[in-house]
Amino acid sequence: MRAYELMKETFFRRTYIWMVHVIWLVLYGVFWWLFLPEAPEFGRFLFIWAGFFLPLALSAGIFGDDIASGRICVIVTRPFWTGELYIYRLLGLSVQAAVHLLLAGAVVLILHAVMRKGRVDDLGVWLLATWLLFNTCAALSTSLSIVVGRAFNSLLLLVVIVTGYFLVGLLSMYLRDQASTSALASFIRYPWPPFELLYKFAAGEWGQYAPTVGKYSVNKSIACVVHSLMLMLVYSIIGIVLLGRRQFSRVRD
Amino acid sequence: MGYDGDSTAVECRQLTKVFQRLLESRAKAVYALREVSLTVHRGQIVGLIGPNGAGKSTLLNLIAGLILPSEGALTVCGHPARSIAARRGLGYMPEHPVFPGLYTARAILRYHGALLGYTAAVIARQTDRSIDQLQMQEFIDRPASDFSQGMKQRLALAVALLNNPRLLLLDEPSNGLDPVGIIQLRDLLKRLRDSGAAVVISSHRLGELEKLTSDYIFMHRGRIVSFADKISAGQAGKLHVELVSDGRQVAEKLSPPDRVLEVSATELIIGINDPDEVPDIVSRLVQGGARIRSVLLQGEDIEQVFLRLCKEGA
Repeated sequence: MRAYELMKETFFRRTYIWMVHVIWLVLYGVFWWLFLPEAPEFGRFLFIWAGFFLPLALSAGIFGDDIASGRICVIVTRPFWTGELYIYRLLGLSVQAAVHLLLAGAVVLILHAVMRKGRVDDLGVWLLATWLLFNTCAALSTSLSIVVGRAFNSLLLLVVIVTGYFLVGLLSMYLRDQASTSALASFIRYPWPPFELLYKFAAGEWGQYAPTVGKYSVNKSIACVVHSLMLMLVYSIIGIVLLGRRQFSRVRD
Repeated sequence: MGYDGDSTAVECRQLTKVFQRLLESRAKAVYALREVSLTVHRGQIVGLIGPNGAGKSTLLNLIAGLILPSEGALTVCGHPARSIAARRGLGYMPEHPVFPGLYTARAILRYHGALLGYTAAVIARQTDRSIDQLQMQEFIDRPASDFSQGMKQRLALAVALLNNPRLLLLDEPSNGLDPVGIIQLRDLLKRLRDSGAAVVISSHRLGELEKLTSDYIFMHRGRIVSFADKISAGQAGKLHVELVSDGRQVAEKLSPPDRVLEVSATELIIGINDPDEVPDIVSRLVQGGARIRSVLLQGEDIEQVFLRLCKEGA
């Protein structure tokens, strides 16, 4: 019951959430209709919109709103481990994303069947990569929401990630062979949501992303999935610790 | 009061709470509570009173486990505050309850029932009980976005009572309630007290508190100034003496003169510390030549105690 209610709440907490889902689904349809993708363009579009922008929209103020309004004060006086609150809310977002992506897949398959155009053979792997990216972004945004007021967690994440990747792009262009560029690129690539890695996973491009340690190597697809799940886990643990140590006061007396 | 150790609902020992911003010096820190020690027993209603900024909400938040003490020890229902065991017996109602606008009152009760770990059958039973107890039939299936302040207060109280708490913390519970609602709330809290629960109410509505309890914690600048049960109504008050003759002449003959609070041609108001003083005062007035038309002893009510303590505290 507790898990169900906390997961359900992530959909019903704000009126705009169902609208986000509908607007995003319409966007996919319009994109398909206008560009009739032959290659994996649709996958890329889905990857960015549902993998990055959707978690920002759905997790905006997921804790920040409750903390700002004081609603959290009643919730955390209930006799259960505070970590459950975090886990089930993140799980709620993840389930929403899974349903959303299945619907997106269904929309594309229907359009493909009706119009007899476009490519859908790689749709499955794009959907999986998108869901994995969604989960890591959602975990990071949810953890940020515990310390950043109201819905600014999403805005902050958007600014930081876009700025970070823009800087790395600039540095890569002008300081191509510098060790510092490589270090910064690694800093962006590994601890942050694995955009590049999952993109290459979905697109079937591997190159330099062969995960080898000494003479050992892992299947690249499995390594990629494990990497993104591990990142989600790390973000979640940070979030759970922050939530457990957070003090909630609205001193007015 | 004759309670044993098991009946303790809240126990604070040397509780201090300092609000200090990151990288801020200790000198600039705000001491919201300073070495507060108190005990609240089960079956007791305690009014938490004091001027704005006294530390009432900080104390309530500490007991609810929403914030952590800087120093001192705090137990709730025999367990460390903020622990799951302590929260099991706790009901908390904030001053400004907030509910998700899309949820109906019934859905909100179901949500909190689920957080408490109840099964669907228990939640349904508790919800029905709350509907009857707090007269929520009218709005139980309406979305919270349509609620008036009074409806929100009733629902917040229902949420706080869902787990049959052993300790109920209420922050301005009568905000927005109509007179019928206030009377119902009062009866409900008395029933809770009689069933053995402890109730701590932070409120500025002193008249309402007075109808519920004579146990007060008066706070001022983060400290407990005095338990008002030691200065409860009846131990101090005013004697209104209506006179036929000139009150000013009579007032001069009274000793000590600073006991005369107000004087006019036909009325004397005298401050008294003990009702037993009244016969002596009246006797002295008569001996002094006063022709008395009527005498009225007005006990010092909690508002007057509050004002007096504020003045003394200042």
